[in-house]
Amino acid sequence: EDAELSPAVRRLVDEHQLDPRAIEATGPGGRITKEDVLRHMESGSSDS
Amino acid sequence: MSKHYDVIVIGGGPAGYVGAIRAAQLGLSTAVVDNFIYKDGEPSLGGTCLNVGCIPSKALLDSSEQYHKVKHTLSAHGIKAKDVELDVKEMIKRKDKVVKDLTGGIAQLFKANKIDWLKGHGKLLDNKQVQVTGQKGEQETYQAENVILAPGSRPIDIEAAPLDGDRIVNSDGALDFDDVPKRLGIIGAGVIGLEMGSVWSRLGSKVVLLEAQDQFLPTVDQRVAKSAQAEFKKQGLDIRFGARVTNAKTAKNVTVHYEDKDGKQSLQVDKLIVCVGRRPNTGDLFSEDANLLLDERGFVNVNEQCETNLPGVYAIGDVVRGPMLAHKGSEEGVMVAELIAGGNGHVNYDTIPWVIYTHPEIAWVGRTEQSLKSAGIPFKSGTFNFGATGRARAMEETAGMVKIIAHAETDRILGVHIVGPQASELIAEAVVAMEFHASSEDLARIIHAHPTLSEAVHEAALSVSKRAIHKAN
Repeated sequence: EDAELSPAVRRLVDEHQLDPRAIEATGPGGRITKEDVLRHMESGSSDS
Repeated sequence: MSKHYDVIVIGGGPAGYVGAIRAAQLGLSTAVVDNFIYKDGEPSLGGTCLNVGCIPSKALLDSSEQYHKVKHTLSAHGIKAKDVELDVKEMIKRKDKVVKDLTGGIAQLFKANKIDWLKGHGKLLDNKQVQVTGQKGEQETYQAENVILAPGSRPIDIEAAPLDGDRIVNSDGALDFDDVPKRLGIIGAGVIGLEMGSVWSRLGSKVVLLEAQDQFLPTVDQRVAKSAQAEFKKQGLDIRFGARVTNAKTAKNVTVHYEDKDGKQSLQVDKLIVCVGRRPNTGDLFSEDANLLLDERGFVNVNEQCETNLPGVYAIGDVVRGPMLAHKGSEEGVMVAELIAGGNGHVNYDTIPWVIYTHPEIAWVGRTEQSLKSAGIPFKSGTFNFGATGRARAMEETAGMVKIIAHAETDRILGVHIVGPQASELIAEAVVAMEFHASSEDLARIIHAHPTLSEAVHEAALSVSKRAIHKAN
Protein backbone atom coordinates (compact mmCIF):
# COMPACT_ATOMS: atom_id res chain seq x y z
CA GLU A 1 0.00 0.00 0.00
CA ASP A 2 2.86 2.31 0.92
CA ALA A 3 4.29 1.95 -2.58
CA GLU A 4 1.34 3.89 -4.03
CA LEU A 5 2.33 7.00 -2.10
CA SER A 6 4.58 9.58 -3.73
CA PRO A 7 7.94 10.18 -2.02
CA ALA A 8 6.87 13.43 -0.33
CA VAL A 9 3.57 11.93 0.83
CA ARG A 10 5.37 8.86 2.19
CA ARG A 11 7.70 11.13 4.16
CA LEU A 12 4.85 13.19 5.65
CA VAL A 13 2.74 10.15 6.49
CA ASP A 14 5.69 8.50 8.25
CA GLU A 15 6.80 11.62 10.09
CA HIS A 16 3.35 12.49 11.35
CA GLN A 17 2.10 8.92 11.75
CA LEU A 18 -0.96 9.54 9.59
CA ASP A 19 -3.38 7.01 8.21
CA PRO A 20 -3.29 7.49 4.41
CA ARG A 21 -6.85 6.08 4.18
CA ALA A 22 -8.13 9.06 6.20
CA ILE A 23 -6.67 11.59 3.74
CA GLU A 24 -8.88 12.88 0.98
CA ALA A 25 -7.05 12.26 -2.30
CA THR A 26 -7.34 14.71 -5.20
CA GLY A 27 -4.46 13.53 -7.41
CA PRO A 28 -4.87 11.68 -10.71
CA GLY A 29 -6.15 8.12 -10.27
CA GLY A 30 -7.14 8.77 -6.65
CA ARG A 31 -3.57 9.43 -5.58
CA ILE A 32 -2.78 11.48 -2.50
CA THR A 33 -0.74 14.57 -3.29
CA LYS A 34 1.47 16.46 -0.87
CA GLU A 35 -1.15 19.23 -0.95
CA ASP A 36 -3.76 16.74 0.25
CA VAL A 37 -1.64 15.76 3.26
CA LEU A 38 -0.92 19.36 4.17
CA ARG A 39 -4.64 20.19 3.92
CA HIS A 40 -5.48 17.13 6.01
CA MET A 41 -3.05 18.15 8.75
CA GLU A 42 -4.20 21.76 8.72
CA SER A 43 -7.83 20.73 9.16
CA GLY A 44 -6.72 19.14 12.42
CA SER A 45 -8.16 15.73 11.63
CA SER A 46 -5.28 14.04 13.37
CA ASP A 47 -5.57 10.31 13.57
CA SER A 48 -2.35 9.52 15.34
CA MET B 1 -12.92 2.26 -53.76
CA SER B 2 -15.22 2.93 -50.85
CA LYS B 3 -16.89 6.35 -51.01
CA HIS B 4 -17.88 6.21 -47.39
CA TYR B 5 -15.69 6.30 -44.28
CA ASP B 6 -16.22 6.46 -40.53
CA VAL B 7 -13.48 9.08 -40.39
CA ILE B 8 -11.95 11.30 -43.06
CA VAL B 9 -8.97 13.33 -41.93
CA ILE B 10 -7.95 16.38 -43.96
CA GLY B 11 -4.19 16.76 -43.56
CA GLY B 12 -1.47 14.14 -43.00
CA GLY B 13 0.74 16.10 -40.61
CA PRO B 14 1.49 15.15 -36.97
CA ALA B 15 -2.07 15.95 -35.90
CA GLY B 16 -3.84 14.29 -38.84
CA TYR B 17 -1.72 11.19 -39.36
CA VAL B 18 -1.59 10.34 -35.66
CA GLY B 19 -5.35 10.87 -35.31
CA ALA B 20 -5.91 8.63 -38.34
CA ILE B 21 -3.73 5.82 -36.98
CA ARG B 22 -5.48 5.99 -33.61
CA ALA B 23 -8.91 5.95 -35.32
CA ALA B 24 -7.90 2.91 -37.37
CA GLN B 25 -6.61 1.16 -34.24
CA LEU B 26 -10.06 1.67 -32.74
CA GLY B 27 -11.68 -0.10 -35.67
CA LEU B 28 -12.94 2.90 -37.62
CA SER B 29 -12.67 2.91 -41.42
CA THR B 30 -10.35 5.83 -42.04
CA ALA B 31 -8.99 7.90 -44.91
CA VAL B 32 -6.50 10.76 -44.96
CA VAL B 33 -6.55 13.48 -47.61
CA ASP B 34 -3.17 15.14 -48.10
CA ASN B 35 -1.78 17.33 -50.85
CA PHE B 36 1.81 17.98 -49.75
CA ILE B 37 4.32 17.51 -52.56
CA TYR B 38 7.95 17.14 -51.51
CA LYS B 39 10.60 19.04 -53.47
CA ASP B 40 11.29 15.94 -55.60
CA GLY B 41 7.73 16.18 -56.93
CA GLU B 42 6.43 13.18 -54.95
CA PRO B 43 3.38 13.30 -52.65
CA SER B 44 4.61 13.05 -49.09
CA LEU B 45 2.82 12.41 -45.78
CA GLY B 46 3.97 13.93 -42.51
CA GLY B 47 2.99 17.56 -43.09
CA THR B 48 5.12 20.52 -42.15
CA CYS B 49 6.82 18.77 -39.24
CA LEU B 50 8.31 15.91 -41.21
CA ASN B 51 8.84 17.60 -44.56
CA VAL B 52 9.83 21.19 -43.83
CA GLY B 53 9.75 21.61 -40.04
CA CYS B 54 10.83 19.67 -36.98
CA ILE B 55 12.64 16.80 -38.62
CA PRO B 56 14.70 18.52 -41.34
CA SER B 57 15.61 21.37 -38.99
CA LYS B 58 16.78 18.90 -36.34
CA ALA B 59 18.75 16.96 -38.96
CA LEU B 60 20.60 20.14 -39.90
CA LEU B 61 21.00 21.23 -36.28
CA ASP B 62 22.65 17.92 -35.47
CA SER B 63 24.89 17.93 -38.55
CA SER B 64 25.94 21.51 -37.98
CA GLU B 65 26.65 20.78 -34.35
CA GLN B 66 28.96 17.90 -35.29
CA TYR B 67 30.84 20.23 -37.60
CA HIS B 68 31.04 22.96 -35.01
CA LYS B 69 32.31 20.47 -32.45
CA VAL B 70 35.08 19.09 -34.59
CA LYS B 71 36.07 22.57 -35.69
CA HIS B 72 35.90 24.43 -32.39
CA THR B 73 35.27 22.44 -29.23
CA LEU B 74 37.04 19.09 -29.56
CA SER B 75 40.40 20.80 -28.96
CA ALA B 76 39.35 21.17 -25.31
CA HIS B 77 39.41 17.35 -25.15
CA GLY B 78 42.88 17.22 -26.63
CA ILE B 79 41.55 16.18 -30.03
CA LYS B 80 43.05 18.02 -32.93
CA ALA B 81 41.36 17.68 -36.32
CA LYS B 82 43.12 19.26 -39.29
CA ASP B 83 41.68 20.17 -42.68
CA VAL B 84 38.07 19.72 -41.66
CA GLU B 85 35.88 20.22 -44.70
CA LEU B 86 32.23 21.01 -45.02
CA ASP B 87 30.09 19.62 -47.84
CA VAL B 88 26.79 21.46 -47.56
CA LYS B 89 25.21 19.56 -50.45
CA GLU B 90 25.96 16.25 -48.71
CA MET B 91 24.54 17.60 -45.46
CA ILE B 92 21.32 18.64 -47.23
CA LYS B 93 21.19 15.25 -48.98
CA ARG B 94 21.39 13.43 -45.65
CA LYS B 95 18.60 15.64 -44.31
CA ASP B 96 16.47 14.80 -47.35
CA LYS B 97 17.10 11.09 -46.80
CA VAL B 98 16.01 11.33 -43.15
CA VAL B 99 12.83 13.07 -44.32
CA LYS B 100 12.18 10.52 -47.08
CA ASP B 101 12.68 7.57 -44.73
CA LEU B 102 10.31 8.97 -42.12
CA THR B 103 7.58 10.12 -44.50
CA GLY B 104 7.80 6.75 -46.27
CA GLY B 105 7.47 5.18 -42.84
CA ILE B 106 4.12 6.88 -42.33
CA ALA B 107 2.88 5.55 -45.67
CA GLN B 108 3.88 2.07 -44.44
CA LEU B 109 2.02 2.63 -41.17
CA PHE B 110 -1.05 3.66 -43.16
CA LYS B 111 -0.89 0.40 -45.11
CA ALA B 112 -0.43 -1.63 -41.94
CA ASN B 113 -3.46 0.08 -40.39
CA LYS B 114 -5.54 -0.10 -43.60
CA ILE B 115 -5.85 3.66 -43.88
CA ASP B 116 -6.62 5.01 -47.36
CA TRP B 117 -4.35 7.84 -48.47
CA LEU B 118 -6.36 10.10 -50.78
CA LYS B 119 -3.83 12.25 -52.63
CA GLY B 120 -5.07 15.75 -53.31
CA HIS B 121 -6.59 18.81 -51.74
CA GLY B 122 -9.36 18.11 -49.25
CA LYS B 123 -12.31 20.42 -48.83
CA LEU B 124 -15.18 20.11 -46.36
CA LEU B 125 -18.59 20.40 -48.02
CA ASP B 126 -22.04 20.47 -46.46
CA ASN B 127 -23.26 17.44 -44.50
CA LYS B 128 -19.79 15.97 -43.74
CA GLN B 129 -18.92 15.39 -47.36
CA VAL B 130 -15.29 15.80 -48.37
CA GLN B 131 -14.23 16.76 -51.85
CA VAL B 132 -10.78 15.65 -52.98
CA THR B 133 -9.11 17.46 -55.88
CA GLY B 134 -6.11 15.62 -57.30
CA GLN B 135 -2.98 17.13 -58.83
CA LYS B 136 -4.45 17.02 -62.33
CA GLY B 137 -7.70 18.62 -61.22
CA GLU B 138 -9.71 15.38 -61.05
CA GLN B 139 -12.37 15.47 -58.34
CA GLU B 140 -14.03 12.88 -56.15
CA THR B 141 -16.46 13.33 -53.28
CA TYR B 142 -16.61 11.10 -50.21
CA GLN B 143 -19.12 10.81 -47.41
CA ALA B 144 -17.81 10.74 -43.84
CA GLU B 145 -19.47 9.95 -40.53
CA ASN B 146 -16.83 12.16 -38.90
CA VAL B 147 -14.41 14.68 -40.36
CA ILE B 148 -11.18 15.73 -38.68
CA LEU B 149 -9.71 18.95 -40.05
CA ALA B 150 -5.93 19.04 -39.66
CA PRO B 151 -4.73 21.31 -42.47
CA GLY B 152 -1.92 22.86 -40.41
CA SER B 153 -0.24 26.21 -40.84
CA ARG B 154 2.12 28.08 -43.11
CA PRO B 155 4.78 30.79 -42.64
CA ILE B 156 3.54 34.37 -42.43
CA ASP B 157 4.81 36.58 -45.25
CA ILE B 158 5.52 40.25 -44.70
CA GLU B 159 5.13 42.95 -47.32
CA ALA B 160 8.40 44.60 -46.36
CA ALA B 161 10.39 41.52 -47.37
CA PRO B 162 8.67 39.57 -50.16
CA LEU B 163 10.15 36.13 -50.83
CA ASP B 164 12.08 35.74 -54.08
CA GLY B 165 12.80 32.04 -53.76
CA ASP B 166 16.55 32.64 -53.75
CA ARG B 167 17.92 35.38 -51.52
CA ILE B 168 14.84 36.13 -49.44
CA VAL B 169 13.29 32.90 -48.18
CA ASN B 170 11.09 31.58 -45.39
CA SER B 171 11.87 28.64 -43.09
CA ASP B 172 11.28 26.15 -45.95
CA GLY B 173 13.98 27.78 -48.10
CA ALA B 174 16.37 28.09 -45.16
CA LEU B 175 16.55 24.27 -45.02
CA ASP B 176 17.86 24.07 -48.58
CA PHE B 177 20.69 26.58 -48.98
CA ASP B 178 23.32 24.94 -51.18
CA ASP B 179 26.15 26.96 -49.69
CA VAL B 180 26.87 28.73 -46.41
CA PRO B 181 25.83 32.38 -46.72
CA LYS B 182 28.67 34.62 -45.52
CA ARG B 183 26.20 37.03 -43.96
CA LEU B 184 22.75 35.85 -42.98
CA GLY B 185 19.89 38.06 -41.86
CA ILE B 186 16.89 36.66 -40.02
CA ILE B 187 13.68 38.56 -39.35
CA GLY B 188 12.28 37.24 -36.07
CA ALA B 189 14.19 35.90 -33.05
CA GLY B 190 11.60 33.31 -32.07
CA VAL B 191 11.99 29.54 -32.01
CA ILE B 192 12.38 29.10 -35.78
CA GLY B 193 14.65 32.11 -36.24
CA LEU B 194 16.94 30.98 -33.43
CA GLU B 195 17.16 27.42 -34.74
CA MET B 196 17.85 28.47 -38.33
CA GLY B 197 20.35 31.04 -37.07
CA SER B 198 22.08 28.36 -35.02
CA VAL B 199 22.43 26.00 -37.98
CA TRP B 200 24.04 28.51 -40.31
CA SER B 201 26.05 30.26 -37.65
CA ARG B 202 27.66 26.94 -36.67
CA LEU B 203 28.56 26.39 -40.29
CA GLY B 204 30.26 29.78 -40.45
CA SER B 205 27.62 32.41 -41.32
CA LYS B 206 27.74 35.78 -39.65
CA VAL B 207 24.16 35.89 -38.36
CA VAL B 208 22.09 38.96 -37.46
CA LEU B 209 18.56 38.49 -36.08
CA LEU B 210 16.18 41.43 -36.28
CA GLU B 211 13.50 41.15 -33.60
CA ALA B 212 10.62 43.62 -33.47
CA GLN B 213 9.94 43.07 -29.76
CA ASP B 214 12.13 44.63 -27.09
CA GLN B 215 12.38 41.47 -25.03
CA PHE B 216 14.09 38.16 -25.76
CA LEU B 217 11.67 35.18 -25.79
CA PRO B 218 8.96 36.94 -23.76
CA THR B 219 6.99 33.73 -23.12
CA VAL B 220 10.04 31.95 -21.66
CA ASP B 221 10.95 32.33 -18.00
CA GLN B 222 13.07 35.46 -18.09
CA ARG B 223 15.90 34.14 -15.92
CA VAL B 224 16.32 31.21 -18.28
CA ALA B 225 15.91 33.47 -21.32
CA LYS B 226 18.64 35.80 -20.01
CA SER B 227 20.97 32.87 -19.42
CA ALA B 228 20.36 31.64 -22.98
CA GLN B 229 20.77 35.11 -24.43
CA ALA B 230 24.19 35.45 -22.81
CA GLU B 231 25.27 32.12 -24.34
CA PHE B 232 24.05 33.08 -27.80
CA LYS B 233 25.90 36.38 -27.55
CA LYS B 234 29.11 34.48 -26.75
CA GLN B 235 28.50 32.32 -29.81
CA GLY B 236 28.30 35.40 -32.00
CA LEU B 237 24.56 35.46 -32.72
CA ASP B 238 23.85 39.17 -33.11
CA ILE B 239 20.27 39.72 -31.92
CA ARG B 240 18.93 43.26 -32.38
CA PHE B 241 15.79 44.15 -30.44
CA GLY B 242 13.05 46.64 -31.22
CA ALA B 243 14.09 46.35 -34.87
CA ARG B 244 11.19 46.86 -37.29
CA VAL B 245 11.98 45.93 -40.87
CA THR B 246 10.62 48.50 -43.30
CA ASN B 247 12.03 47.25 -46.57
CA ALA B 248 14.35 44.63 -48.05
CA LYS B 249 15.89 45.15 -51.50
CA THR B 250 17.64 42.49 -53.53
CA ALA B 251 20.43 43.39 -55.90
CA LYS B 252 23.75 41.56 -55.72
CA ASN B 253 23.13 41.33 -51.99
CA VAL B 254 20.10 41.96 -49.86
CA THR B 255 19.86 45.35 -48.19
CA VAL B 256 17.53 45.31 -45.21
CA HIS B 257 16.22 48.63 -43.95
CA TYR B 258 14.89 48.71 -40.44
CA GLU B 259 14.10 51.13 -37.66
CA ASP B 260 15.05 50.79 -34.02
CA LYS B 261 15.11 53.17 -31.06
CA ASP B 262 18.12 54.97 -32.57
CA GLY B 263 16.36 55.61 -35.88
CA LYS B 264 16.82 54.26 -39.38
CA GLN B 265 19.35 51.47 -39.86
CA SER B 266 20.39 49.23 -42.69
CA LEU B 267 22.06 45.86 -42.97
CA GLN B 268 23.76 44.07 -45.88
CA VAL B 269 23.34 40.29 -46.05
CA ASP B 270 23.71 37.54 -48.64
CA LYS B 271 20.53 35.75 -47.60
CA LEU B 272 17.53 36.79 -45.60
CA ILE B 273 15.18 34.41 -43.78
CA VAL B 274 11.71 35.66 -42.87
CA CYS B 275 10.35 33.85 -39.81
CA VAL B 276 7.96 36.14 -38.03
CA GLY B 277 5.37 33.47 -37.27
CA ARG B 278 2.91 31.03 -38.79
CA ARG B 279 -0.78 31.26 -39.63
CA PRO B 280 -3.52 28.63 -39.93
CA ASN B 281 -4.26 27.08 -43.34
CA THR B 282 -7.96 27.78 -43.70
CA GLY B 283 -7.91 28.94 -47.32
CA ASP B 284 -10.14 26.70 -49.46
CA LEU B 285 -10.59 24.32 -46.51
CA PHE B 286 -14.39 24.40 -46.57
CA SER B 287 -17.23 25.43 -48.86
CA GLU B 288 -19.45 28.32 -47.86
CA ASP B 289 -22.50 26.13 -47.30
CA ALA B 290 -20.54 24.02 -44.83
CA ASN B 291 -21.01 26.94 -42.38
CA LEU B 292 -17.85 26.19 -40.43
CA LEU B 293 -17.15 28.80 -37.80
CA LEU B 294 -13.71 30.49 -37.51
CA ASP B 295 -12.63 32.47 -34.46
CA GLU B 296 -11.68 36.17 -34.51
CA ARG B 297 -8.04 35.34 -35.31
CA GLY B 298 -8.86 33.10 -38.27
CA PHE B 299 -8.42 29.75 -36.54
CA VAL B 300 -11.15 27.10 -36.75
CA ASN B 301 -13.34 27.62 -33.70
CA VAL B 302 -13.27 24.61 -31.34
CA ASN B 303 -14.09 23.75 -27.75
CA GLU B 304 -11.81 21.92 -25.26
CA GLN B 305 -12.48 18.65 -27.08
CA CYS B 306 -11.66 20.05 -30.52
CA GLU B 307 -15.31 19.93 -31.64
CA THR B 308 -16.22 22.59 -34.21
CA ASN B 309 -19.66 24.19 -34.49
CA LEU B 310 -20.67 21.31 -36.81
CA PRO B 311 -21.62 17.99 -35.16
CA GLY B 312 -19.18 15.25 -36.21
CA VAL B 313 -16.61 17.73 -37.49
CA TYR B 314 -13.45 18.23 -35.42
CA ALA B 315 -10.37 20.39 -35.93
CA ILE B 316 -6.91 19.81 -34.45
CA GLY B 317 -3.30 21.00 -34.56
CA ASP B 318 -2.03 24.33 -35.86
CA VAL B 319 -5.41 25.27 -37.38
CA VAL B 320 -6.94 25.67 -33.89
CA ARG B 321 -6.04 27.63 -30.73
CA GLY B 322 -3.13 26.65 -28.55
CA PRO B 323 0.59 26.32 -29.16
CA MET B 324 1.67 25.42 -32.70
CA LEU B 325 3.64 22.33 -31.68
CA ALA B 326 3.70 18.88 -33.30
CA HIS B 327 3.10 16.97 -30.05
CA LYS B 328 0.15 19.21 -29.20
CA GLY B 329 -1.48 18.40 -32.53
CA SER B 330 -0.77 14.67 -32.21
CA GLU B 331 -2.34 14.52 -28.75
CA GLU B 332 -5.41 16.31 -30.06
CA GLY B 333 -5.56 13.75 -32.88
CA VAL B 334 -5.54 10.91 -30.36
CA MET B 335 -8.16 12.62 -28.21
CA VAL B 336 -10.53 13.19 -31.12
CA ALA B 337 -10.15 9.62 -32.45
CA GLU B 338 -10.93 8.27 -28.98
CA LEU B 339 -13.95 10.56 -28.60
CA ILE B 340 -15.30 9.44 -31.98
CA ALA B 341 -14.90 5.80 -30.95
CA GLY B 342 -16.92 6.52 -27.79
CA GLY B 343 -13.99 6.85 -25.42
CA ASN B 344 -12.87 9.58 -23.07
CA GLY B 345 -9.95 11.31 -24.74
CA HIS B 346 -8.55 14.45 -23.22
CA VAL B 347 -5.52 16.73 -23.62
CA ASN B 348 -3.88 18.42 -20.66
CA TYR B 349 -3.01 21.83 -22.09
CA ASP B 350 -1.22 22.77 -18.84
CA THR B 351 1.57 20.24 -19.33
CA ILE B 352 2.61 20.72 -22.95
CA PRO B 353 6.41 20.97 -23.06
CA TRP B 354 8.19 23.48 -25.30
CA VAL B 355 11.65 23.03 -26.75
CA ILE B 356 14.04 25.27 -28.68
CA TYR B 357 16.81 23.17 -30.23
CA THR B 358 19.61 25.69 -30.03
CA HIS B 359 22.87 24.94 -28.30
CA PRO B 360 22.42 24.99 -25.38
CA GLU B 361 18.84 23.82 -25.75
CA ILE B 362 15.94 25.58 -24.05
CA ALA B 363 12.95 23.59 -22.75
CA TRP B 364 10.14 24.34 -20.40
CA VAL B 365 6.73 23.25 -19.14
CA GLY B 366 4.15 25.04 -17.05
CA ARG B 367 4.16 28.57 -15.68
CA THR B 368 6.93 31.16 -15.80
CA GLU B 369 7.94 33.34 -12.86
CA GLN B 370 6.67 36.48 -14.62
CA SER B 371 3.24 34.94 -15.35
CA LEU B 372 2.84 33.78 -11.72
CA LYS B 373 3.82 37.23 -10.46
CA SER B 374 1.25 38.94 -12.64
CA ALA B 375 -1.41 36.40 -11.59
CA GLY B 376 -0.56 37.01 -7.92
CA ILE B 377 0.14 33.33 -7.23
CA PRO B 378 2.64 32.84 -4.37
CA PHE B 379 5.61 30.70 -5.36
CA LYS B 380 9.11 29.66 -4.40
CA SER B 381 11.81 28.58 -6.78
CA GLY B 382 15.08 26.70 -6.89
CA THR B 383 17.86 26.73 -9.45
CA PHE B 384 20.92 24.68 -10.23
CA ASN B 385 23.69 25.31 -12.73
CA PHE B 386 24.87 22.51 -15.01
CA GLY B 387 28.42 23.68 -14.35
CA ALA B 388 28.11 22.22 -10.84
CA THR B 389 27.27 18.71 -12.09
CA GLY B 390 30.01 16.19 -12.71
CA ARG B 391 28.42 14.89 -15.90
CA ALA B 392 28.25 18.30 -17.57
CA ARG B 393 31.87 18.95 -16.57
CA ALA B 394 32.94 15.62 -18.03
CA MET B 395 31.05 16.47 -21.23
CA GLU B 396 32.56 19.97 -21.40
CA GLU B 397 28.97 21.25 -21.60
CA THR B 398 28.71 23.49 -18.58
CA ALA B 399 26.48 26.30 -19.81
CA GLY B 400 22.95 26.68 -18.50
CA MET B 401 20.72 25.90 -15.56
CA VAL B 402 17.53 24.28 -14.31
CA LYS B 403 14.88 26.33 -12.55
CA ILE B 404 11.94 24.79 -10.73
CA ILE B 405 9.01 26.84 -9.52
CA ALA B 406 6.61 25.46 -6.89
CA HIS B 407 3.57 26.86 -5.11
CA ALA B 408 4.65 28.66 -1.93
CA GLU B 409 2.09 26.90 0.25
CA THR B 410 1.29 23.55 -1.34
CA ASP B 411 4.74 22.91 -2.87
CA ARG B 412 3.07 21.71 -6.07
CA ILE B 413 5.34 22.13 -9.11
CA LEU B 414 4.03 24.95 -11.29
CA GLY B 415 6.79 25.22 -13.87
CA VAL B 416 10.17 23.79 -14.85
CA HIS B 417 12.56 25.72 -17.07
CA ILE B 418 15.82 24.42 -18.45
CA VAL B 419 18.56 25.91 -20.57
CA GLY B 420 21.47 23.57 -21.12
CA PRO B 421 22.68 20.33 -22.64
CA GLN B 422 19.85 17.94 -23.60
CA ALA B 423 17.19 20.16 -22.07
CA SER B 424 14.80 18.66 -24.64
CA GLU B 425 15.22 15.22 -23.08
CA LEU B 426 15.38 16.38 -19.47
CA ILE B 427 12.04 18.21 -19.65
CA ALA B 428 10.16 14.89 -19.99
CA GLU B 429 10.72 14.14 -16.30
CA ALA B 430 9.17 17.48 -15.37
CA VAL B 431 6.13 16.77 -17.56
CA VAL B 432 5.56 13.42 -15.86
CA ALA B 433 5.95 15.00 -12.43
CA MET B 434 3.45 17.75 -13.21
CA GLU B 435 1.01 15.30 -14.76
CA PHE B 436 1.00 13.43 -11.42
CA HIS B 437 0.56 16.71 -9.48
CA ALA B 438 3.97 16.20 -7.90
CA SER B 439 5.46 18.55 -5.34
CA SER B 440 9.03 19.81 -5.59
CA GLU B 441 9.73 17.57 -2.60
CA ASP B 442 8.58 14.54 -4.63
CA LEU B 443 11.16 15.32 -7.29
CA ALA B 444 13.74 16.03 -4.60
CA ARG B 445 13.14 12.62 -3.01
CA ILE B 446 13.35 10.61 -6.23
CA ILE B 447 16.66 8.90 -6.99
CA HIS B 448 18.51 10.29 -10.00
CA ALA B 449 21.37 8.31 -11.52
CA HIS B 450 24.88 9.62 -10.97
CA PRO B 451 26.59 11.03 -12.90
CA THR B 452 23.85 12.29 -15.24
CA LEU B 453 22.57 15.65 -16.41
CA SER B 454 19.25 14.84 -14.72
CA GLU B 455 20.97 15.48 -11.39
CA ALA B 456 20.66 19.19 -12.19
CA VAL B 457 16.86 18.72 -12.13
CA HIS B 458 17.14 16.86 -8.83
CA GLU B 459 19.34 19.54 -7.25
CA ALA B 460 17.08 22.33 -8.50
CA ALA B 461 14.15 20.55 -6.81
CA LEU B 462 16.18 20.27 -3.59
CA SER B 463 17.10 23.91 -3.94
CA VAL B 464 13.41 24.93 -3.80
CA SER B 465 13.52 24.08 -0.08
CA LYS B 466 17.12 25.33 0.23
CA ARG B 467 18.66 21.93 0.68
CA ALA B 468 20.61 21.40 -2.52
CA ILE B 469 23.72 19.37 -1.77
CA HIS B 470 26.15 20.60 -4.40
CA LYS B 471 25.80 24.31 -3.89
CA ALA B 472 25.62 26.82 -1.05
CA ASN B 473 21.92 27.45 -0.41
